Amino acid sequence: TLRQICTTTAVQRKNVGASGPEKYTEAFIKKQIEEFNLGKRHLANMMGEDPETFTQEDIDRAIAYLFPSGLFDKQARPLMKHPTEVFPEQRKIQWGEDGRPFHFLFYTGKQSYYSLMHETYEKLLNVQKHQDQLIDQDLPVQKEKGNLAGSRWLTKIELEEMLLEKVSDDDYSRFIQLLQKLVSLPCADIEEEYIQKFSKEVPLQLQKVVIEPLQYDERGVAFSTGEGKRKTARATAVVYDNGTGKITVNGIDILHYFPVLQDREQLLFPFQFLGRIGKHDMVCTVSGGGRSAQAGAIRLASAKALRSFVTEKEVEFMRQAGLLTVDPRVKERKKPGQEGPRRKFTWKKR
Amino acid sequence: CHSPASLAPRRIMPVRWSRYNPSYLEPEAKKESYQKPLEELTEEEREQMELKAVRPIKAAPPSLSSSVFSDPMISKFTNMMMKSGNKVLARSLMSQTLELIKRKQVEKYHKAPEKEKETIECNPYVIFHQALKNCQPIIGLSSITRGGKTYQVPVPLTDNRRRFLAMKWLITECREHKHRRTMMPEKLSQELLLAFNNEGPVIKRKHVLHKMAEANRAYAHFRWW
Repeated sequence: TLRQICTTTAVQRKNVGASGPEKYTEAFIKKQIEEFNLGKRHLANMMGEDPETFTQEDIDRAIAYLFPSGLFDKQARPLMKHPTEVFPEQRKIQWGEDGRPFHFLFYTGKQSYYSLMHETYEKLLNVQKHQDQLIDQDLPVQKEKGNLAGSRWLTKIELEEMLLEKVSDDDYSRFIQLLQKLVSLPCADIEEEYIQKFSKEVPLQLQKVVIEPLQYDERGVAFSTGEGKRKTARATAVVYDNGTGKITVNGIDILHYFPVLQDREQLLFPFQFLGRIGKHDMVCTVSGGGRSAQAGAIRLASAKALRSFVTEKEVEFMRQAGLLTVDPRVKERKKPGQEGPRRKFTWKKR
Repeated sequence: CHSPASLAPRRIMPVRWSRYNPSYLEPEAKKESYQKPLEELTEEEREQMELKAVRPIKAAPPSLSSSVFSDPMISKFTNMMMKSGNKVLARSLMSQTLELIKRKQVEKYHKAPEKEKETIECNPYVIFHQALKNCQPIIGLSSITRGGKTYQVPVPLTDNRRRFLAMKWLITECREHKHRRTMMPEKLSQELLLAFNNEGPVIKRKHVLHKMAEANRAYAHFRWW
């Protein structure tokens, strides 16, 4: 090979600089891992525990004991974790010594993304070929119903972590569309493994909430309590059985406390949904928030209290009607340099 | 009538500023949809039901209720009429409008001869929905700049956009072209009744838009989507 005698500084700089610079070399990370393991054994000996069975939680507890810190930010406190968690994963240099890149799609700029799209499309063509073969042989094409409810696709951030390069919104949506097309074909079961790499299990049956049993007061009337909140308003509701439909808020009748029709509609929403308008009495206390927030808080509290009076199926219907979810919307904070949460100051040309 | 939320497909990219996780689904408040027996549901509805059983659901907003009086279209219209967050005023204007429509129609009903009594529609909700439907444009115009010149290109409109344009035109018409002393409910009820019979300035505006689109047919190939 000819040795380059005069090379421009630009060429030299480009070879070293790397795209997505490799801040930590492999040797450096290996050394860090060795030091971490040694340190772990020393720490176990110091704490008087067995070095072989010293887990990450034990390390955290030991560090918190030996280096107590009063800092508020948890991430500023002393930390001892495995180097793969501390140093983010990054791409190695994509080209060899002669400057020739390894991957054939390097010059597209997004090599991992395009290679992924190529692979997925290859699988799609495979599935179509298989389908055509089945049709040629006159075999029935079965469509297995996958559990679309139990899994979700990878989010954009997770895909970026997997590919180790930035993915734009458009690219991400195209990839998801391609995956969905692949899944929708009848014989997609062949590529099940490949698809599972990009789907995640959604935790089914999120937190089975325990419904409290009915309580009975001195007169023998069944009642149940519920708590609700909305923005800054907090409410507690006590729903009594065998009632006439009277609702009292902070000792005042709802007609006087909520002069606006919309709020009263919200209070009656759970009862009207279950068809139990004239059957229950309600006594509530509410504080904080404004007119609409208090109505929303009482609505949530009464819906929670009504769960004890009603079958599980109806509880599920109430959840699907949006009656049992706490509304997470709160007032957005004002930012510096702006007049409000979104509004900017008037733009002056000079 | 189709409600806006139920027809909108699920988003590919989530709303940037929503406090909810994108996996949360919209709530369904109507009692009838929960009382249907299993056999009557179509394939899509069955899948929707299974999805709803697993996914978390957003909290119902304060304007949504299972009562017979709450209508998604009317709530949308009320929100568009609202100024500076004064929902109480907007809601009272809306109810006064509907009352006025009913009064006018009942007056007409009593004055009409026997044969025409059946043709007169007294239900203000039916009149509102029909009037909005009559005001919806089929095709819209979009400005596209090519080589320095801006052309008005005819473009198909989505359902949501049509509904929005119909409501927007009604409201702007009522706010601008009315006498200083006439109240909003009165003017609105007038416009709605005219639109119900396919007359009035809003329908005219729709026809003007259609004519412009027809006139600019030559530029239709500028559209690339």
